[in-house]
Amino acid sequence: MSGGRIAGLRGLVRHKRSPLLCLLLSPALAAAAPPAGERISFVSCPIVRDTRSVPCWLSEYQGDLYYLTIQSDVSAAVQPPLLGHQVLVEGVVSAAAPICGGIVLDALKLTAMPELDRNCNTELPADERYTIDFNPRPPGPSGGRLAFAPDPSAPRGAPQAPPSGPQTVDIFFDFDRGVSFRHPADLSQIMRLARQIGATQMKITGLRGAHRLSDGTLLRESPATGQRRAEEVAGLLEGAGLDLPTVVEWTDGDQEADGIDDWRSRRVTVELTP
Amino acid sequence: MTGRKAGGPEAGAAGRWRGTPWLACAGLWAGALSAQPAAGESESTPDLWWAPGGDRPLPAYVEYDNPDGRLGVVNASGTIDTDGHPFFEPLGTNGRACVSCHQPADGMSLAVTSIAERWQATQGADPLFAAIDGMNCPNLPRGDAASHSLLLRRGLFRIPLPWPPVGAAGEEIVPEFTIEVVRDPTGCNSDSVYGIDGERHEISVYRRPRPAANLRYVVSSGFGVSPFIGKTGMLSALDPETGNPVNMNMMADAREPTLKRQALSAAQVHLEIATPLSPADLERIESFERQLYAAQAFSRFAGVLDEPDGPSGLGPRAMAEGSDGVLGNNTTRYVIPMEDRWADLPAGATREESERNAFRESVQRGHDVFFFRTFWIRDAMHINTVGLGNPIKRTCSTCHGMHMTGMDTANGWMDVGSTNHPYALEPAESPWAEDLPELPLFRIVCRADLPPHPFLGREIYTQDPGRALISGKCEDVGAIVIQQFRGLAARAPYFSNGSAANLRELVDFYDRRFNIRYTEQERIDLVNFLSVL
Repeated sequence: MSGGRIAGLRGLVRHKRSPLLCLLLSPALAAAAPPAGERISFVSCPIVRDTRSVPCWLSEYQGDLYYLTIQSDVSAAVQPPLLGHQVLVEGVVSAAAPICGGIVLDALKLTAMPELDRNCNTELPADERYTIDFNPRPPGPSGGRLAFAPDPSAPRGAPQAPPSGPQTVDIFFDFDRGVSFRHPADLSQIMRLARQIGATQMKITGLRGAHRLSDGTLLRESPATGQRRAEEVAGLLEGAGLDLPTVVEWTDGDQEADGIDDWRSRRVTVELTP
Repeated sequence: MTGRKAGGPEAGAAGRWRGTPWLACAGLWAGALSAQPAAGESESTPDLWWAPGGDRPLPAYVEYDNPDGRLGVVNASGTIDTDGHPFFEPLGTNGRACVSCHQPADGMSLAVTSIAERWQATQGADPLFAAIDGMNCPNLPRGDAASHSLLLRRGLFRIPLPWPPVGAAGEEIVPEFTIEVVRDPTGCNSDSVYGIDGERHEISVYRRPRPAANLRYVVSSGFGVSPFIGKTGMLSALDPETGNPVNMNMMADAREPTLKRQALSAAQVHLEIATPLSPADLERIESFERQLYAAQAFSRFAGVLDEPDGPSGLGPRAMAEGSDGVLGNNTTRYVIPMEDRWADLPAGATREESERNAFRESVQRGHDVFFFRTFWIRDAMHINTVGLGNPIKRTCSTCHGMHMTGMDTANGWMDVGSTNHPYALEPAESPWAEDLPELPLFRIVCRADLPPHPFLGREIYTQDPGRALISGKCEDVGAIVIQQFRGLAARAPYFSNGSAANLRELVDFYDRRFNIRYTEQERIDLVNFLSVL
């Protein structure tokens, strides 16, 4: 989710009483929150809190409760995590007012950890102190378009010139995961770009990611993840009809990480050459 | 039929009607369709059962009784001459035709009551009971009801599938899991010929035949179809004639990409045809199926369902004229448009009218339960894993979102627990239990070097692995393509494994599965709504 989109939600889910009452999970939660601007990265269980409208998602780390997102639909830039799995959270602490009782994070990235964790099962009931008065998508049927789809009545910008020259597309993955529901748009974009520039060759590079968590822990994806991703993407593009001379490479060594946008390391890069 | 009415008539008229099917009255249908029922058609349908090679015309419009009223069947292109038509002729070596398992009176599917009637009428000699799939296993003695128990009790045909899976180009797919037989009440999966380790290397699962009507909607590529499957990112199946991706929304496991390929495969497996269907035959079958519509036309409690000022989404005419490839999980198109026309109806001038209006109001409320009543959908593969979160607070129409049919819009396989442990219906195991499990049980172990199934882990027990038998994917275990809602009253039982004997059991399954806690009134209203589709 972009910072701008977070800003669109910020302040719209309000608590009606003292902000301290939002911090419900532990006495330690009343401790001072991390300062705005601080990068934070942790693995913890997600928590879902019902509201009268859509549920909101939270996670606790070192005594602080963080707001992750709300339920909307597939168009959301930050999509909710999964109970039954821990979630890897990366973001920058925001100065904005808490949402749903949680500290807001900018530049937020979430990924569900693949292994099951039955301890991640906290579902909080609706609490009158937390209401959502911004409702991009009600919990039932939509109003006719996706929550974050562009307003059809908004003026359209000037048409963009078709791409030319070499093109590079990065595809990002969930932790330890390969191609998923997140990727049809990326793969289709590569197919489209290849046609538009008249690509004659392609290079696909898969990376095994690593994360430096806020407590110093280095978290690495499973061995051979980069190879698996690269070969999977290559196979899918070929299967979809992109018949180009292709170099498939991967980097599966023990990567390092510095805690800054580490989500970018879970990646396949596709380079198209005219 | 208990608990189905809200002030409706008593259930005395519930018996299955056995006379001449109702034909369209000219006033109701005049101008509605280009093809009009011709005079004289009402004399040509002496029996509900369409035996192969019957050579009688299928009228442009015909109605058949069922316990909830009457089903309407529309041939939009006019009366179908079935003489020599490949859908109706016994082309296979076992005497079956397509129509054997896709009966007009049963919404182009096959009700278990019809199966029982054929058993009684023919002492099991009807081609319907062919050994290849009309028996629990072909190696059992034919004519013994016990050999056909799954068909007779639950309307299930045996579906033999190759193991390991075979791709569209004939390539072997390396599965992400191993599979072993834990329970084999039919004996087929352990058999030396038909078993997993047998000569044929097959897995037998047992499934209901799906309706061969309203297929224009089922195969529509108008929404969510791309070279990559929206829910998984994997490659979409291609139409072998055009090379274009298809919506993969047909059959319980989406194993065939097009109507023609389905017909070709079904003729080979179920009809045991000696020579593959010709291109001309395939063309005729597809043309027939694309213009055929079925939906409940008359409710014995709600009356005529497609009155001009009634809900626009009910009745077979609505199906014939509706738009396909449309997402209906929104308040602009709706899944089943009703326009609140049955909300707050006045008291009738007569008792009969009052009872009808009360039932109609129940149907409207049932629609609203379907469309607006939220509950927590959790641990359902291919819905909670597509960016919405787990759990999500949504409604029935989140998954059943296709306008007019209630299917998913594309790539519609999900695991709602209908075949997977612990949610799949099983008789309680105890020393005192008389009912024993009827379906096989498989143990799936997913590879340790790949991510586990997001909700079931690496060890899964299932009656039917569903899509996973085609894709070889651990995450697809138990995922079944969502079925259409039309003509439900004509074709019980429900779910791919026939585990819901009636609509009430279907609703109760979801209530248990998702801890919805429907009120009794909500259940009644939802059942009544489903009964008029």
